[in-house]
Amino acid sequence: MDMNSVLTVVLVLIGAPIIGCLASGIDRRITARLQGRVGPPILQPYYDVRKLLSKDNMIVNESQNFYVVVYLIFIILSLLMLVFKADILMIVFVYTVASIALIVGGMSTGSPFARVGSSREIMAILSYEPVLLLYALAIYLLTGTFKLSAVLDASTPVLMYTPLIFIAMLVVLNIKLKKSPFDYSTSHHAHQELVKGMLTEYSGPGFAIIEIAHFYEYVFLTGLIFLFWAANPLIGALIAIVAYLLVIVIDNITARVYWQWMLKLSWTFLLAISIVNIAFLYFSGVKIV
Amino acid sequence: MIETTIMLLLAVPLLFSFLFLGLGKSMYKILAWAFFIFGVFASVQLIRDGVGVYVITGSEFAMFENIVLVLEVLVVLFIIGVAAKYKNWPTLVLGLISAAVFAYTFTNVPAVESASFNIDQFSQVMILIVNIVGTAIILFATGYMDEYEEHRHLNRQRTFYFTMSFFLASMNGLVMVDTLGWLFLFWELTTLCSFVLISYNMDKEGIDNGFRALALNLVGGIALSVGIILLATNYDISTLSGIGTYAGTDAAAMAAVALPVALLCIGGFAKSAQMPFQSWLLGAMVAPTPVSALLHSSTMVNAGVFLVVKLVPAFAGTGLGTAIAVYGGFTFVMCSALALSQRNAKRVLAYSTIANLGLIIASAGIGTPLAVAAAIMLILFHAISKALLFLCTGEIEHTIESRDIEDMPGLIKKAPLLSTLAALGMVSMLLPPFGVLLTKWVSMEAASENPIVIIFLILGSALTTVYYAKWLGTIMSSTMDKNEVHHKKPETYFSLSFLGLSIVVTSILVFQIYDYFVRPQVEILLNAAPNVSGQAGIIASEIGEFAYAAIFAVIALAIILYLATKSMFTPRKADYYMCGENNMERDKLMFRNGLCSYDKSNVSNIYLQNTFGESKLTTIGYAISIILIVITLAGGVL
Repeated sequence: MDMNSVLTVVLVLIGAPIIGCLASGIDRRITARLQGRVGPPILQPYYDVRKLLSKDNMIVNESQNFYVVVYLIFIILSLLMLVFKADILMIVFVYTVASIALIVGGMSTGSPFARVGSSREIMAILSYEPVLLLYALAIYLLTGTFKLSAVLDASTPVLMYTPLIFIAMLVVLNIKLKKSPFDYSTSHHAHQELVKGMLTEYSGPGFAIIEIAHFYEYVFLTGLIFLFWAANPLIGALIAIVAYLLVIVIDNITARVYWQWMLKLSWTFLLAISIVNIAFLYFSGVKIV
Repeated sequence: MIETTIMLLLAVPLLFSFLFLGLGKSMYKILAWAFFIFGVFASVQLIRDGVGVYVITGSEFAMFENIVLVLEVLVVLFIIGVAAKYKNWPTLVLGLISAAVFAYTFTNVPAVESASFNIDQFSQVMILIVNIVGTAIILFATGYMDEYEEHRHLNRQRTFYFTMSFFLASMNGLVMVDTLGWLFLFWELTTLCSFVLISYNMDKEGIDNGFRALALNLVGGIALSVGIILLATNYDISTLSGIGTYAGTDAAAMAAVALPVALLCIGGFAKSAQMPFQSWLLGAMVAPTPVSALLHSSTMVNAGVFLVVKLVPAFAGTGLGTAIAVYGGFTFVMCSALALSQRNAKRVLAYSTIANLGLIIASAGIGTPLAVAAAIMLILFHAISKALLFLCTGEIEHTIESRDIEDMPGLIKKAPLLSTLAALGMVSMLLPPFGVLLTKWVSMEAASENPIVIIFLILGSALTTVYYAKWLGTIMSSTMDKNEVHHKKPETYFSLSFLGLSIVVTSILVFQIYDYFVRPQVEILLNAAPNVSGQAGIIASEIGEFAYAAIFAVIALAIILYLATKSMFTPRKADYYMCGENNMERDKLMFRNGLCSYDKSNVSNIYLQNTFGESKLTTIGYAISIILIVITLAGGVL
């Protein structure tokens, strides 16, 4: 590793949570305004984490915080792999490790609320994982390699040929950020019946780690959207921000649906449009490099 | 000294099977340890001997050939006899057809003058799996069977160990022999052994399922022997490697042998329990768990994919290859979906096995060097992980008296080591950096040129994640009931820990394994090596790369970080939240209901029975898989 990559790693490790924290703060402000409240300061998520870290470490069993550490570390790893333009298919698999760690962490507490939340989150995996993998396949078809370096070197943006997969990925973003109408495993806002779902038994430092991991996850997920227009980083970032704001608006104007509905949506509509998009890429043989 | 090792690998397991038959129960543990040690040394010795061909000619050949003929006649007679005794007519008919085919072979097919054993890198890998994983399973059985028989009032361990060891001997023969006639004998012997082992309990269920396995594998065996007859009479090919040599010359030759090759592949599909033959492997789980472990990981089903991969040179890049790839991909996605709907742990594992074998067949069908490399690696990694998972399930069954996943919450408290090992097995099946995921990743990248196959693989991969995550979460969830079960026998836990360790070690050494075994083998099969390089813990092909060492480092980091911060925040234990007041009385695990009595909270996983249930999917699966097989055959004829 040369000096540059070390610097990049440090920058990501420090920069990503700051961006994620601000994004989360903005989310809460916008949500508050949409609900006719003033809302907390932008830095509220940071104050929350600081407070959580100072709290007692209340646990149900010894292992529950281990899964949280795995969750955090694998989110950071997937983000770093994204930044270092690694293999997109592998990034998806590494990201799955993080998702599963959180699910098992929730289940490990044994609480019935957490177990119901985790079961629903597993169904969320079933909904979004195929779309993520098809997105990776689309990138391969357009560039001839799964390595992301080709996408960033390309002059034409990926979005030009993958509009349908882009739509599907917006829904995936919505599911992964656990925003309404897909917020049934756990949610940031106090509108669900499962106490805090998957994260019911997490408090204090353990919960703080989850919050920090979420900050990284925000950056990672919007990073995946950024790739759609990586040819021009400015437009790419703009699309990512717009997508994020869109998810917040959707969060506030929709009510939660059954998880069955999400599964149906994903395995019929989302998969269908993604596969149509993939079929187009196969038969047209278009390349962006 | 390759011929000595080959003969040892055939003779010593046979010797052990007769020792098990002759010596008393008290000796089984010692015998199993000795067998395990022999297995490790003999398979390592075979690798040290290197690759080579051992040809048997002259009077020696005549003697062995006679033994083979006598054994083949005995096998057929046994099948007919046992089918007649239990009045199982389909099996009887199939047995008679086998006898007719055998008689035809004996009278009409030109005889061969010599036989040969061909030790290539693939055979070495298979020998490692059979003799190390297989004997570890037998070792596990010595700590398992007493209790199993006690529950069921059986006393058939003599038959059990005899057949298990005999199975390993036949498997050793199957993966080393090159002469098709002899291969067929070993093939039928493994079928016979699985029949005896599946019907081990000797109750109606066991015998029915044993006959189902026998019948379906006889169908495969008949396809295999017709293929062998066609090869011998029309093309004068009598060895497995001969098919590759013949077809390797040009496209016309490939097209010529396509029909017999397709028939051989169908034999392989039946053995590997691919759809529509899957019911025999699902039925096979009525047998004791070590039998399932042996069938699913180190022996039986591997024989099928072994044959298909060996035939790669005869169909790589042809329409037949594509048909096989689509067929394998279909089985992968279908059985993954079926696994999702199951709550019986053994059934989940059975479907997972069939699905992964489908993935291997799909990779073989794609036929590029990268894909074939993935297929061989997947056979190895899958065997180890699946053996561990099956043995863990057996041990779980003895610990909690159930194999229902819904009964497994709290297992981590009852049997921490067992749960951890089972969790390792599951994680190794679906997450990086472990071998199975790594090879799945390679086959997905290799399949990405074929739209249908890759979409099957993507859907199947997502489904796989889901059904293992569900089970993983369940065994790791610690309920508040405290009842640790002490249930540790050295033989069982040695085997389990050994397999767990093997998963980690093989996954760390993945590139070395690839470099030593897989790359040369792919060169033999396809005359071209996959363009894969591995430096500084990164495996890179022309279309992707995977930094597996970095992920191992990250896992280590996670563990260190957890241990370091653990003491920083002094933990305070609490009971989990049950909605406050509702629950202050009793044992704090109950909810007070509207009638002021108490209900225990009861949460179960989601199984989507209405979408992915067996009643919904099996018929469609049969229909489509039969159509795909017909297409495969048609691809062979046209």
